[in-house]
Amino acid sequence: MNLEFGLMLGGYGVGAVGALLMPGGRAGRGIAAFGMVWGGAAGLALSLQVLLGGAAFTLEVPTLLSIADGLAFRLDALGAFFLGLVGLLAIPCGVYGFEYVGAYEGRYSLRLLGAMLNMFLLTMSLVPCADNVLTFLLMWEGMSLTSYFLVLTEADEPDTIAAAGWYLAMTHVGLALALAGFLILAANATTTAFGDLRTAAASLTPAMRNTVFLLALAGFGSKAGIVPLHVWLPRAHPAAPSHVSALMSGVMIKLGVYGLLRIGLDLLGGGPAWWGALLIGLGALSAVVGVLYALMENDLKRLLAYSSVENIGLVFIGLGAGFLFLGLDATAAALVAFAAALYHALNHAAFKSLLFLGAGSVLHATRTRDMNRLGGLIRGLPWTAAFFLVGALAIAGLPPLNGFVSEWLLFQSLLPGIESRAPMVAPLMTLAVSVLALTAGLAAAGFVKAFGITFLAIPRSPAAECAHEAPVSMRVGMGILAVACAVFGLAAVAIMPALAAALAGSARLPVPVPGFGSGVSLSMPSGFARMSPTLVALGLILITGAAWLVVRLFASRWPVRVSATWGCGRVVQTPRMEYTSTAFAEPLRRVFAELYRPTQDLSIDFHPESRYFVQSIEYRSEIVPWFERYLYAPLVTRVRRWSIWVRALQSGSAHAYLTYLVIALLGLLTLLIVRPG
Amino acid sequence: MGYVLEVAQAALALALAPGLAGLIRWLKARLQNRRGAPVWQPYWELAKLFQKEVVVSSNASWLFRAAPFIVFASTTAVTFLVPILAVPLPFDGLGDLLVVVYLLLLSTFFLSLGGLDPGSPFGGMGASREMTVAALAEPTVALAIFALALAAGSTNLGQIVARTMADPGAFLSPGHLLAFGALFIVTLAETGRLPIDNPATHLELTMIHEAMVLEYSGRYLALIEWAAAVKLFIFFALLGNLFIPWGVSVVLTPTTVAVAVASLLVKLVVLAAVVAVLETRIAKLRLFRVPELLSVSFVLALLAVTSSFLLK
Amino acid sequence: MDSLFSQLSVLGSSLVLLFGLILLWRRGISAYVGAFAAQSMVLSAVIAIVGYFGNDHELYWVAGTLFLLKGLVIPRLLRRMERRFAVEREMEPYVNTASSLVVSGLLVLFGYMVTRPLVGLSQLPTRAGMPLAMGLVLVSLFVVISRKKALTQVIGFLMLENGLALLAVLGTYGIPLIVELGVALDVLMGFLVMQIFVYRIHETFESIDVEQLNRLRY
Repeated sequence: MNLEFGLMLGGYGVGAVGALLMPGGRAGRGIAAFGMVWGGAAGLALSLQVLLGGAAFTLEVPTLLSIADGLAFRLDALGAFFLGLVGLLAIPCGVYGFEYVGAYEGRYSLRLLGAMLNMFLLTMSLVPCADNVLTFLLMWEGMSLTSYFLVLTEADEPDTIAAAGWYLAMTHVGLALALAGFLILAANATTTAFGDLRTAAASLTPAMRNTVFLLALAGFGSKAGIVPLHVWLPRAHPAAPSHVSALMSGVMIKLGVYGLLRIGLDLLGGGPAWWGALLIGLGALSAVVGVLYALMENDLKRLLAYSSVENIGLVFIGLGAGFLFLGLDATAAALVAFAAALYHALNHAAFKSLLFLGAGSVLHATRTRDMNRLGGLIRGLPWTAAFFLVGALAIAGLPPLNGFVSEWLLFQSLLPGIESRAPMVAPLMTLAVSVLALTAGLAAAGFVKAFGITFLAIPRSPAAECAHEAPVSMRVGMGILAVACAVFGLAAVAIMPALAAALAGSARLPVPVPGFGSGVSLSMPSGFARMSPTLVALGLILITGAAWLVVRLFASRWPVRVSATWGCGRVVQTPRMEYTSTAFAEPLRRVFAELYRPTQDLSIDFHPESRYFVQSIEYRSEIVPWFERYLYAPLVTRVRRWSIWVRALQSGSAHAYLTYLVIALLGLLTLLIVRPG
Repeated sequence: MGYVLEVAQAALALALAPGLAGLIRWLKARLQNRRGAPVWQPYWELAKLFQKEVVVSSNASWLFRAAPFIVFASTTAVTFLVPILAVPLPFDGLGDLLVVVYLLLLSTFFLSLGGLDPGSPFGGMGASREMTVAALAEPTVALAIFALALAAGSTNLGQIVARTMADPGAFLSPGHLLAFGALFIVTLAETGRLPIDNPATHLELTMIHEAMVLEYSGRYLALIEWAAAVKLFIFFALLGNLFIPWGVSVVLTPTTVAVAVASLLVKLVVLAAVVAVLETRIAKLRLFRVPELLSVSFVLALLAVTSSFLLK
Repeated sequence: MDSLFSQLSVLGSSLVLLFGLILLWRRGISAYVGAFAAQSMVLSAVIAIVGYFGNDHELYWVAGTLFLLKGLVIPRLLRRMERRFAVEREMEPYVNTASSLVVSGLLVLFGYMVTRPLVGLSQLPTRAGMPLAMGLVLVSLFVVISRKKALTQVIGFLMLENGLALLAVLGTYGIPLIVELGVALDVLMGFLVMQIFVYRIHETFESIDVEQLNRLRY
């Protein structure tokens, strides 16, 4: 057994067991956090060893559960990337969680939280290592169950139980679909090891391959959060504790991408071009829907959850371009597209978890997530504000941080498609490029709102007024991720070839990996375009410094005088005069009113004596997402009706149950008669 | 030698930009039968602002004071990347057209945050409107860039200019002209000109850019106004040099650089005249009609890309 | 494919399509009539260009007929109708302006995909403009179904005719004079009939909102 693998198991194990056994208080929290950091570091070391060293790591335990071929682990470069993602995020979230869960003392069980969190990380780490169907599904289910308990942590909040219920239902539906896909693949194979599935897949009929791909898309897509299977995301992510939301948004949804890549690219070896077109369509839809609903949200964590839907849409656009080029045999372009998609997944993990940790810090300080009650937090929480600003800049895709570099790469990877001769490719790529640009602009608007309304201007409620900064461990956790955001952007030249190497060798992707530029200059392998994030960053810093210096030397005759806000000569400024989060998004709400279809409810109370005097006006407007109204509400109603019907079977009568037993026995005996032996 | 020209180019942009804004203002005045302030009035205004006292709101934070510098820096950084006088330039590999667009989005981002910081409703209103317009203009810009990049084979600015210079017939191609139309509308939107925003208004209902900078004064306001003028210069330079590149020097000799400066001035004056006439003739659009105009520019850009791959 | 002829034909087709898009952007009926007149004039110019480069002198007659009929006569009749019915603006169509424009962009892309096989088969230098003509046809159909005022629908129908004529010219290098005269006569008769109908609708309901027609049910 490999040293790092053992350390990883040991780390998470110590964390889980220690959290359960410790008497609670600082020690209990400390050992849970320690386990997370240790396990995460070991996992990261293992993944780097495989990614950079090139050799895969294998481990077989055939004796355990041998009826289904036992447990088998094999970490190749593709899985190593996702394992690295888990390890990378486990460290800052562990450090952060140490102080964050202190607020739960006495209210919720910290033992369960610590144990479940470590098991969650362990099962998530083992999913990319799985090498046969049983191991994969076992780890996947473990991940789903542990995260269910984690979402349920704050059980006293009004929405948590419903959110956890939705999450559990949808993750199991996804599991069933993915299982169906695996079983079809395994039908022809000798064992259920992935190696055998790969060879067996070559002899499947095209119809079967398409079925497997669609099942995998539905199953793993629901975990990733693709519209219309994303409805659990905006419910579950805000309900969970903030560092858990960070892990779920940062890593868990990427494992949906992993599952799709494993089945679609590795086991099936790519397919016809329409697979890619379907992925691009779904990705574009998710990106636009995600960002539009994020803009309308007033709950900070729900805004971040919808933004995750948007970014997963962008990743799927990249994946779709890859599958499309692969289907058209443009393997070099496909490699670049896949690598760009994985890079965006990495960057999203970094900045989204940073944003969730920041939101957690705000929640910790003010006990509310409603942006209309926040404001002015930049004074009480200066560090959190600075880190959140870095995250907001990164997610808006602004230079020189990592979000910009991965969006640039996504744009550039789509460009060869516009030149292509194949029938539908050029219009599809044009649409994808427009969607990419539109979501970038709308995301920038959304995060001006999120950062500006939450942290700037005047506090809108007493809770926001007396907010205090987060404890040290929470700041350190956020700081690690902020540095990561900057580094991932600047080190693109090194990261992209590593990602391309992770994918090379799968399907028909070319093995000598192309270079992505050298030194500080990032360039596309086809030579189509070049840019340098490092030098742009350097240039910006130099010019800002120079401007500041010149102004300081030549134009600073008067010192700055602090006075009341001018506001065109208005005398008094109260918090009620500021722009609210709803107001900020109002122009866009009007522009896209046909999509949102907000309900409007206006009731006016007149004075009893005269209709010309108004006593009160109440205005209520709500946006219910259309897929919830037209897709899920009827579905839920139908399922409820059906389950009431099925409930009739549980009559409580002992006679009925005995009858069921006898019928089952007769049925089995009939089977024996019909198929002897 | 190339580096010297790069710095000279940026300095020229910074120096000429207020004059450009003044020129448009003067032309509008003349068209409205007024004498108007002289063309170099903005220079006096900037000098005055740099010497005046700064008053900052008590609700504002460090972001309010840092934002003007960041806005100015990102706009100035773009002047290093845009082909104003010559191609190819040493910084050409630093950033292509996408980098230029996103750097301008960076300046808009910080300007909006600076508008929200003092807590005044004007700032919030300006910020919200500005981000709406910027977000809706993004798809047009991306598609116009791609229409140009398709023709040139790269998104690098130097290569686009070189390609258009090499093939004069391409000037008349529909993709080219449609992309010009689309980018012209986006220029009006991004630089806050009529019919989208009125740069001379005092009424809050008609403000977008002015509302965001209402709380700024003294040297901060000077930096922001200067950055706005430089942004106007950049867009005009892009419109001129990407679509009508003759005059841009390819070989760096004193004569070619002089010709480049002269042709740049001619293009700027022509574009300024067009914008001045347009601003005099057209009334400002209601805010909720602006998305319609931006949709028109989006369709133009879409047609530009379609024509580009139709004619291949 | 970069010859002056093909560039001019694509340029002309783009202008024709752009005038069609004005129907989706502006709201005043006079703007629509102006756009239709300009579109017909540009279309006749395109036909003349095809006639010049293709050495087919019949097309000059076709261009002239189109210019007279659709560039001058019909717009004049339309302006008379507009004055008589005092119709100012198209308010609140079924699909709002920004969405209509985005839909029209998508329809142009769809037209491109539909005519791709035709473009691939054809050898003519004008083939690149065919997707734009198809786009105009689809956009005109969209105008007819999404606008409420009868007059706008009439103009949409006339633009549809223009689109089909453009498609024919670009695709087959010309329309025989006889066919064009027949079509022109057809259009004129159809237009006069529509004029009568619109007049009757206005008399009955005091407005030319086509929505009102469902009152005839009761």
